Amino acid sequence: METVAFYSYKGGVGRSLLLAYAARYLAAILGKRVVALDFDFEAPGLHYKLKFDITSDPHLLAGGGGSVPYLLATTQGFAFPPPLEEHMVYLGHEDKGGWLRLMPAGPAPRQPYWAVLKKLGDKLRLGDSSGQGFMALLDLQARIGDELKPDYLLIDARTGVTELGGLATTILADTVVCMLVANMESLQGTLAVIDALKSAPRLANQKPVRIVPVLSRTTTETHTAGFVQLARDRLHEKDLTPSELPHDDLAVLEKLGFLWPLSQAYIELFQRLFPSAIASGQSTPRKNL
Amino acid sequence: METDLLNTLVTEAIWRAEELEALGIRPASSAWEDVSRIEEQLAKALPVSEAQGRIARRGAVDAALKAGDYDRAQALTDGYLADEAAPASLKAALREILEEADQEIASHFQHAAKHHTPREARDLARRFNEAGAFGLAA
Repeated sequence: METVAFYSYKGGVGRSLLLAYAARYLAAILGKRVVALDFDFEAPGLHYKLKFDITSDPHLLAGGGGSVPYLLATTQGFAFPPPLEEHMVYLGHEDKGGWLRLMPAGPAPRQPYWAVLKKLGDKLRLGDSSGQGFMALLDLQARIGDELKPDYLLIDARTGVTELGGLATTILADTVVCMLVANMESLQGTLAVIDALKSAPRLANQKPVRIVPVLSRTTTETHTAGFVQLARDRLHEKDLTPSELPHDDLAVLEKLGFLWPLSQAYIELFQRLFPSAIASGQSTPRKNL
Repeated sequence: METDLLNTLVTEAIWRAEELEALGIRPASSAWEDVSRIEEQLAKALPVSEAQGRIARRGAVDAALKAGDYDRAQALTDGYLADEAAPASLKAALREILEEADQEIASHFQHAAKHHTPREARDLARRFNEAGAFGLAA
């Protein structure tokens, strides 16, 4: 299982949307087994991006399912955690032998979700010197790998500098997609985080994290103003080359709400992100609108 | 005289912590911290050659773990293990207390424990406390 965390220093860059398209691309087009995990606890929305209606699942709706209720269950006492399936939703995409499962944070933005999140805040302490806080999160990742055996675990990491965002990117991820937009605020914050990611300690059996910067929502204006080139130059100084997602492509996809057709920019990004999946999956020529 | 008072205090503190825990009242961890600190004072007052001194040393470490303060438990253990006068049986007992705590965590987080040790998780927690998210506060 390869774990890819989608991170952005600032919000509104299309992070969750990119994750959703990546998940559907891997499952539906390449026939891979994919788990999408919402770790954006304070503003969860991956279920919207994956077109899953929380109200269709009474268990989820009551606050009993999702990553937040799951983690609360594992941190309350030492009872064995409930079945993973109770906290996930199956989203199909079996045509080519793959599947897509979503572990939403919970039934946000409904009240039961915030009530469970509040309880979790009291229980899940990453700074706990026993290490139990970290073990709870590592256990969720390992359990997904052991029981579901997905090819990919895609994590929607919290925007900004947060405990969970830090954990998802520095410890859980094999690859971090660092999304930014072409302005100084986004660029400078992202560069600081990239430095931190490069120097962050890893666990004993982990390789160094792979960082893939993605410059999103670029427009003619941002190119003309020189921001895009500036971002490229600054990232090159760190031996990184950004992929670019033009704003129009993202906007069109968001409006259509379909996976297909993907623009060339997306296909190139996915080829970069998932080379082994591309190599082993069916190669699919691009269709045009 | 001092040890008499400390013994009285630790007896009361243990009773209080156990009752709080039995009732499921959250501040039980701070009650166990009190126990650990009183036991530590007893350990300072009583030589390791005496049975009561060895009980106090074990009690200080055990209560620190019950308080959820692994760093303190480890620091106390390191100090007691460094005492040349400490008998091998005490050193083995102290190591066993810490190992049992690790095993308890590993048994609860069985999937994580296949890949990572509780010690690794503690190291991460320590670094997190020192440097914050992403290590940016270091």
